[in-house]
Order: sequence, then C-alpha cells, then structure tokens
Amino acid sequence: MGRLLFIRSIEGRILAGITMFVGMMILVGWVAINEEARMQSFVRQHTGRSVERGAELFASLCSECHGEEGYGQGDRAPGLNNPHLFGYDPVGLQTVAITTANRALVRFNQDLSNLLAEQTDAENPPSEERQNEILAAIAALEEQIAEQQAVIEAAVVERADILATLDTAVENGLFPLWDTVVDIETTGANEVEVFFNANGTRLAQVGWAGDLHGYVVTTLIHGRPGSANVYPNGTGMAAWSQTAGGPLRQDQIEDLANYILNWDKGGAWTAEDFIAVQQYGKPLADGSLPSEPPPPPAGDDVLGILARWQATEIVGSAVSGELLYDAEYGCTDCHRNGASAPDTVGTATRIRNERLTLPQFAGYTIEQYIVESITRPGDYVVDGYSSGLMPSNFGVRMTDQQLADIVAYLLTQE
Amino acid sequence: MSILPFPSFLDDVKEKGFKKAIFEGIDDSVERLTAGLNVQDMREAFRGDSASRRPNPRLTPHADGFWLHMRPSYFNRDVTGMYPTMRLGWLSSYFVWFETITGILLMLWYTPSPEIAYGDMLTILSNVPLGQLMRDMHRLGAEFMVAVVAMHMMRTWITGSYKKPRQFTWFSGLLLLVITGFLSFSGYLLPWDQLSLWAVTIGASMAEATPVVGDQVNLLLRGAPELGANGLLRFYLLHVLALPALLFVFFGVHYYKVVIHGHSLPPQKENIGEDTAKRVPLDKRVYFIPDMLTYEMFWLGATTFIITVLCIWFYHAPLENHADPQVTPLGTTAPWYFLWIQGALKLGDKFIWGVAFPTVALGGLAMLPYMDVTPSRRYAHRRFMLTIAMLLISVTTILSYMGLAKFAVQTSAETEIVHELTFEPAHSKVGVGRTIPFDQMIVGAYTTAQMHGADEMSANDMIAGFNAEVMANGQFDQMIQELKDQHVGANQLPLRFRSIPADEAPKLAIVMEEFAHHLDLAPDELPGVWGALVITDNQAGLKRLDWVVSWDSVLIQGGEVQFDEEGEPILVYSEQLDAEGNPVPVRRIYSDHLFIHRASAYFD
Repeated sequence: MGRLLFIRSIEGRILAGITMFVGMMILVGWVAINEEARMQSFVRQHTGRSVERGAELFASLCSECHGEEGYGQGDRAPGLNNPHLFGYDPVGLQTVAITTANRALVRFNQDLSNLLAEQTDAENPPSEERQNEILAAIAALEEQIAEQQAVIEAAVVERADILATLDTAVENGLFPLWDTVVDIETTGANEVEVFFNANGTRLAQVGWAGDLHGYVVTTLIHGRPGSANVYPNGTGMAAWSQTAGGPLRQDQIEDLANYILNWDKGGAWTAEDFIAVQQYGKPLADGSLPSEPPPPPAGDDVLGILARWQATEIVGSAVSGELLYDAEYGCTDCHRNGASAPDTVGTATRIRNERLTLPQFAGYTIEQYIVESITRPGDYVVDGYSSGLMPSNFGVRMTDQQLADIVAYLLTQE
Repeated sequence: MSILPFPSFLDDVKEKGFKKAIFEGIDDSVERLTAGLNVQDMREAFRGDSASRRPNPRLTPHADGFWLHMRPSYFNRDVTGMYPTMRLGWLSSYFVWFETITGILLMLWYTPSPEIAYGDMLTILSNVPLGQLMRDMHRLGAEFMVAVVAMHMMRTWITGSYKKPRQFTWFSGLLLLVITGFLSFSGYLLPWDQLSLWAVTIGASMAEATPVVGDQVNLLLRGAPELGANGLLRFYLLHVLALPALLFVFFGVHYYKVVIHGHSLPPQKENIGEDTAKRVPLDKRVYFIPDMLTYEMFWLGATTFIITVLCIWFYHAPLENHADPQVTPLGTTAPWYFLWIQGALKLGDKFIWGVAFPTVALGGLAMLPYMDVTPSRRYAHRRFMLTIAMLLISVTTILSYMGLAKFAVQTSAETEIVHELTFEPAHSKVGVGRTIPFDQMIVGAYTTAQMHGADEMSANDMIAGFNAEVMANGQFDQMIQELKDQHVGANQLPLRFRSIPADEAPKLAIVMEEFAHHLDLAPDELPGVWGALVITDNQAGLKRLDWVVSWDSVLIQGGEVQFDEEGEPILVYSEQLDAEGNPVPVRRIYSDHLFIHRASAYFD
C-alpha cells in the first residue's frame, strides 16, 4: 500500500497521475454516453413504482366506492376501469363499422350497376373479350359485396347484444340519470343508443377540453361537488389533495392518477370490458340490483327510538353489536382502561348499581340510559371525565338496528 | 516604438525576431501565472534536476503566490510516508473541496421545499445527464469525509501529536469534526424521502432532551414542532451556508496551526520533550515543488478515480419513498455516525444519555491535550492514554451496534417476518419478496405448509390434505375474510391453495422456502403457524402479493412470550370446544401486501 501510494520517482508519479485522470475522464465519458438510456430506464422504473403506490392508495381509499377492480359500484361511484372513460365507445365503434361498410357497399353497387349497364348496352355491345372481363369483374364485386354485408350483419348483432345487455338497466329505471334520455319516448329510438350518441366518451360528456390525465388529476384534487346527486348512494367524491383540504400530497395524487391511467388498454378494449363496468346504476355482476337506500338514522329522540324498537320488533344482537362497537364505530379506542372514558368492561353493572340509583335517572330503564348516553352524550357526563370528548353524532350515523345491537352488546358487559 | 500606449508584441518581433519573441512571451506569461517559475525552471523541476539558477525559483511561488503561500515550501522526509500521517489530514481537505464542487453542481437542481425537493431528486435521476453520478459522489464523499476526519483524530491521539505546542490545533480539529458531523447530518434531510425524514427526526429529537430550553432548541432547529417546510429550509441553509462558512473558517485556523508548528515527527524520531518539526536538516528536506506537488496531483487523480469507480459500479445514493410524517418505517435509525448516541439512548434517560453523555464525551476530547501534559510522545510511555484510545474506539463501536434497529427493539414476530420479506429498497437492500421476476408471479395461493413433511408425500397430496384441514377448521375462511378486509377484489379471492410451481417459478419457490424458514425460527411466539402468499392480478402489468401469517395466539406480556411450568408457551383459548370437547386456541391472522409492477425492476 505504502509503496503504491508513494511512488519514489517523479516520472512515475506524473505518469500514474495522468493515467488516473485520463482513466477517470474515460469513465465519466462512458457514463455520459449511456446517460440517455439510463435516464429512460429510470423513468420506466419510477413510473412502475408510482403505479404500485397508487394501487396501494386506491385499495385503501378508493376501492370502497369505486370497487376493488375499478368497475364502480352500482349507484355509489362510477367505474374507472371503464372503456367509456378511456374514450372507447363500443356502441359507437360498431356504428362506425356499419357506416364504413355501408359506404363501401354503395360504391360497390355503383360499380356493379355500371358494369351491368355496359354489359347490356344494346347500342354499343362490348366485344367478346370485354364481355369476359366484365363477367370476372362482376363476380369479384359480388364477392366483396357479400363480405361487406357479413361485416354489417356481425356489427348489427354485436351492437344489438351490447344494447340488450344495458337494456336491463333501463328497464329497471336505473339508467335515466341523464337529461338526454328523457325524450326517448317521443323519438321511439333505442334508449341506450340515444344515450351513447349524446354522451360519447366521458371527456366529451363532461365537455373537458384537456387530456385524460388532467381530468383525472383535477378530479382527484378537487373532488366532484354534486356527485352525490348522480350517485345517490355514494358519499360524494371528496377533495383528496392537500391543496384542496384533503389528505393526499401532490405526489400521491400523481401516483393515484398513474394507477388509474394504467387501466387503459388502448386499442384492446372490448365490449365485455364495457359490460363488466358497474355504472349508471346498472345491475351488479351477480344480477342483483343496487342496494336499497340505507335505512334512516336513529336520531336522538331517546323515547322515540325505544318506541320504534317495540313497534317494529327490533331485537339487538350482541355479536354484531360487538363488531360495531369495536371496529365500525371504534368505541373501544377510548372506552378502555377507564383512562379517558369509562371502561367497556362492567358497563352494565355500573349502570345498574351506580348510575340508575342517582336521583336524575329515576324511572330510567338501563336501555334508555345507554341509548341516551350514545345519542345525547352531552346530557350527562360521569364524574371524573371531561365533557365534549364523545362525538355527539352517533344518532345520525347509526340505524335503529345498529343502536339495538350495541345496546345488546353493552348489556353483556357485566 | 509602438503608437499604442502599451509595449507592443510587434515591437518585440521587430527587435528579436518572431520565434524568439514568441518564446519569450510564453516564458513571461508562465512565470507570471506560476508566480515565479519559468518554462525552464518547470522543466528542471519535473525532470528531478536541481534548480539551475539562484535564488531557488521553486521557493518563489511560496513567497509571492497566493495559493502556495499557505503551503510549506518543504517537508521533513520522515512525515511524507504512509506513517505517521496515513495522509488522513490531506484526505480530509480533499473531501472538503470535493464536497463543495459536487454540492454546488447539485444545488443547481435543488429547491428546499417539501413540495418540490423530492421531485428534484427524481429530476436529477431522470433528466439531468450525469446527475445520478454527481449525487452518488456527493453522498459517498460525505460518508467518507466523516469517517476520514474521525480516523484523522484517532491517528493524532495515537501518535500523541496533540501535545504541546499543538493543543489548539487539536481543539480546532475537534471543532472541524463536529462541523463535519453536522454538515453530513443536515444534508441527510435534503432529499426529503422517508430515510432522511426519519433519520433526522430521530437525530433532532435529542435536541428536545436539552434541559429547560429543550422545546425552544427543538423549535429553532425544526422551525415547527414537526419537520416541515421551515425545518427543511433551515437544514438547507445550515448545509449550504452556515456550516460551510464555519468549516472554511476553522479549516483555515487548523491548517494555519499545522503549518506554524510543522507536521509532528514520528515519536521515536526526536528526543523526549523536544519538538523539532520546524528544524528540518538539509538532507531531510523534501521540497513541495516538485516532490510533494507531484505526489498530491497523483493522489488527487487516484482518489477521484477510485470514487468514480465506486460510484459507477458499487455505490448508489439511497432514495426511498417520499417523506411521510404519518408513516413511521420499521427499523428507523439515525445516520451511522450518530448510531452511538442512539445506542446510548437505549441505556436509559434521554437527557443523561442523549445530551449529557455526548457533551461530556466531546468536552473530554476537547480538554485532552490540556489534561494529558506528560512530555513524552513515545508509545511505551503512553500506555494509559493508548488504552483510553482503544477503549473509546471499542465503546463507540459497541454503542453503535446497540443503536441498530435489531438491538433491543421489540416487534412482534409476524410483523418482523413479513417486513423482512417485503421491505422497500433501503440502504441498497430490498425485501426478497419483491425480487421475484414478474413472470414468475403466477396467480394463486401458496402456503409454507408445503415445506413441512413434503418428503413423505408428493406436494400435491400435501396441499390437498392441508386444504381439507384449513377448510374444516375455519382457518381458510379466516384468511379469505382478512383478504376481503384488505380490499382484494371479490373475483380475485383464491378458492384453495395450490402447490408451488417450482419449475416455472424457481424464485417464487425460493422465496416461499425463506418465508417458511423465517416462520420456523419463532416457534414459541407463533405456535401452529402457517404462512401464505396470495398472488392476484390487479391490472395489466401489475400484480398484488398478499402475505398472510396464521397462528395460535400465545400469552405475551411486556413483549415476552409467557411459558408454563413445562416450558411450553401458554396458549390463549377461545370459549369454543372442538369435537372432542377440548378447548380451541384463539387463531390469529396477520397480513400485509404489496403491489409489483412489471417495470419496477427490484431485482436489478
């Protein structure tokens, strides 16, 4: 090592130093000419990883409404794994195929009648040689005409199939969310076809002047105010970006957009893809109709709730109550150990032995006490705990049945 | 005479002839540029001849020139070898300049803002020619610089070069060590990825432990209770302005002291208590021009060449995912040169070990030359101080080891195992589960149960038996429910386990074996365990891998498995009874998943 670093002769050092510098410059030059390829492969790799992160975000934040596979969820949210979004219109394509074939047919028929006219021209009869030529040309033309007719026939059948599939949705009254469908009665045209003629692809439908990436990113950032009107059982598209008060950073928005755009199949979209989409309130894949509107919330009228339980014979289930209590509403986040809120364990015992003996609860049943505690938490706060900690909107979030389940569960907490 | 107001080259040509005028003009220019050496002087110097004119022109650049006036004009032959300096001081200076140059190049592409910084890193990697090489070099240079400066200090300690009259040289050097550490640390945050955010969060949390003013110090440093836009800007300004300014000031002070006192000779070369560094006998003089100059130019070339080679083939600066204050990665550590503090923190109180201990340690180092006042620099007379030096090295090494995430940090076995298989690229390593080639990720559900007892029967029989077993005892349904909860599409859920297609997917088989092996290593914490890997299609070119661990729950208190008298782990039983009336242990399940894109290339 020492010998290597301490070359004794000046010429040796100069030579070695120059060699090192030249070597380094060659290496850097070699790196430089490969940079273009390296940078391209980095971009590919980075886009891939961005799609992965987007997939993660989509699974945890979006799949609840848009579906795990992006097909949408009936009347909750539109499909994103959707030819319509990516500018593929299966009905339109079949129509284009029919029109193109029809144009060819018109041309072929024109040629055919010209040939026939020439063949039968009495004033100027064609020579023998010409006759044979004409016969051959007619045979060829007839073949082409038959070909085009087959194309049209297939396209008509295909189009009819697609329309028929979507017709179910129309028949069930699940389609007419768009104004264009209203005048169908008067025109007598196929309703779905009218819809597609009017709406084309998603970007055309909303009148978006930019590209799809911009459309997706903008929707992610700002949400879609009013989407709950179109998808009545959805929660409405929220603004997801921190820019607009949501939880996601800009790079996460980009990741999500990359993931959504990764569904694009380009020219490989098929009508089957279109039919798989759960949108416009069309029936779900298993044939069932979209969910009923959710049952009304319980509210905070304690005696009213108890009366409804009696009237509609609602019986709580402690098992589902436990699930709601632990997971759905996260009550155990605070109600444990008794540190920030009374412990869940022993709830029933404490109410019976301690609370109901207090003068202000004279005449209360234990159920009434629990329902009041859940729906009107501010009315009475147990000594030693601060008021205002427990959310006061559980009455709005829970249905009668859920409330009954939770009460049943708490009654088991001796 | 020229009509121009300055002497004309044409006049020279007229007077001396063209050739002579050219040569003399060049000679003149060279002598001005080198502050004293003309072409003939340089030729003699680089040939190794002695100077042909007097006074020696090779000393003029030291007397007249700016750059060389701070370099000694000759050295003692005894300090120009590998021993005693190891060239560590020279290397430290080299890295100061190396880091400055590469750093300025990187600054061209960087904006200190949490919204932009990470994007800038991607731009440097994806759209700046040689950007990756610059970033790698700057990062590797920073790591080397910290190491070299620390070794330089230990070398000074071991050769006793801190002794009178060089006490203050040592002290200024110690300041440089601290500044180097902080420079490297402040640069850590700038890429704004998960690695930087969390390493710096841990490092900066020590400031909080300062007594009385801890909160204020923390606030000053981070600009807010948590690192954000202000914190990033402060670290950036520290990194590119404040700390470099301090570094250059003390670099000047330190080097001035080095030149003033001369490089200390090897201890045995001078009498005890004497300092003869400045009295170099004529026969021991090694002149800067040409000897040291050619040495240094050669080292400059060699060191840069080595770093270039390392950065092309062996080292790439890490870049993890975008910083996210909401997501704490498993196994976060401080940068390696602060690991010793993190290790010390595991010993107890945050103030004592995080603030007092490093302060006392640095204070002790600063006072070293003033406490150790024995005159002898000979090794035999310094057994005590040499022992302390070795102790310091050992203790720092041990504390650094203790600072690693694997030391004394409790994580449950199932989380640890799945993380080990799936972690994102960090510190040039990646979870082996990500390295399965895309084409070998064959859709299906596979289980580690296949590895157990597969000798006696065929894999297919084994899997068939296992399927029947888990379908009967509800463990399969539990897994399906877990997958549903984790948003696996309903059409994608597996119907049964299938045997691992080892022929088509050898890497998948290897990963499953590793999975099984990891699970086997935790028999107490995970009794009756099986693991599963469920591969599903997500999009064209995108697969989803769900890693599932299913086991019988055991009693765990304070992170430790509880055992009964027979040394068996205590199981947690549910209220159900099986067909024979025996209690059934509570079955627990854990899963984590990752998505893999065809183009992600984790296996590169």
